[in-house]
Amino acid sequence: VTFLDGLAHALPERVLDNAALAAEFGVEPEWILEASGIRERRVVSPGESVTTLAERAARASLAAAGLEPHQLGAIVCGTGTPPRQFPGLSADVQAALGAGGIPAFDIHLASVGGLFALAVATDLCARHGPVLIVAAEEMSTVMARGPRVKETAILFGDGAGACVVRPGEGPLSVVDLSLGSDGANAAALCMDHGGALQMDGRTVILQANRKLRAAITTLLERHNLKSSDVGLWLFHQANLNLLRQVGGALGIDPARVFVNLDRYGNTSSASLLIAMSEARAQGRLRAGERAVLAAFGSGLSWGAILLDVRA
Amino acid sequence: LREAGLSSIAAVREAVGRCAKAAVPADDEASLFDSGVIDSFALMELVSSLEESLGVRVPDSDLTPRKFESIARIAAYFDSHK
Repeated sequence: VTFLDGLAHALPERVLDNAALAAEFGVEPEWILEASGIRERRVVSPGESVTTLAERAARASLAAAGLEPHQLGAIVCGTGTPPRQFPGLSADVQAALGAGGIPAFDIHLASVGGLFALAVATDLCARHGPVLIVAAEEMSTVMARGPRVKETAILFGDGAGACVVRPGEGPLSVVDLSLGSDGANAAALCMDHGGALQMDGRTVILQANRKLRAAITTLLERHNLKSSDVGLWLFHQANLNLLRQVGGALGIDPARVFVNLDRYGNTSSASLLIAMSEARAQGRLRAGERAVLAAFGSGLSWGAILLDVRA
Repeated sequence: LREAGLSSIAAVREAVGRCAKAAVPADDEASLFDSGVIDSFALMELVSSLEESLGVRVPDSDLTPRKFESIARIAAYFDSHK
């Protein structure tokens, strides 16, 4: 039995709105909004990086959970934009916190990295104790690499989310999860060393749509639940049209789907944890209800996690 | 591709018309993507709609845009999987 604690996030101050991108690509700002649901995104300024965002989110998470770094049993980071090939972002977070001696590693799955980190931590914490999860991205640096393509350049933003997965009963209990990957379609979403993000949008949307629906349906059926039994849906904030399409196919009430991508864009692995943190702060994770987390990303990989909100 | 049944072509053309973001090309072989008729999201709608109306389930391994790029290709796919 495990629960999520210390939901927190960190975002850069600098805002990149649609007007600047629209001018660059010769489109109307409304086209960007219609194509993605995104109005603006946050991007790092000089002195900020994936590492500084991760460290801020990590410290905020520990403070919210009432934990000191020495009480952690492991650190798992999700990112597709690590500061270097190796060691991963987890080494920076561990060093910054002074939490040496415990296992620290990255999960390198881009958009689905936060969800996979949560899933891995639910098993890891039984052996090691509280696991700090940090998912952080510096997508703006990746997107600055040419050639810039409007279909991807409009989507992404920078940010970090964090939480602690703890053993025992708690306010946000992990009930069950479902994970999957399909290497046969991996080329549809990839990034070579130092290269630009390559995304075959049609394949990604087709596969994401199908796989997210299947993962969620599997999870709900295992527990004899209907989509209407879920109080809040927290999806990876990829694209509003995808969220609407998946939600519509599953018969989900749109009012129960948490959306913040209009303000932050797609922050890849960080988006799910940022959404959880904001949903918690806004009181949208209500005691007595269930919540579902779901994400899709590189690999291609996908997954869903069912939570019981107890307080 | 020309071997696709006329009934399938008609059914696909009708489904494409329902999901289209621009005028549907008269040429059954024309790319629906290049002309902006079907975008990524409309493609999923189109596949789901045809699965239902033609009673054919498209397995995940076949969910690649190339198979659904034109009315003729779509009709051929569904014809060969009936």
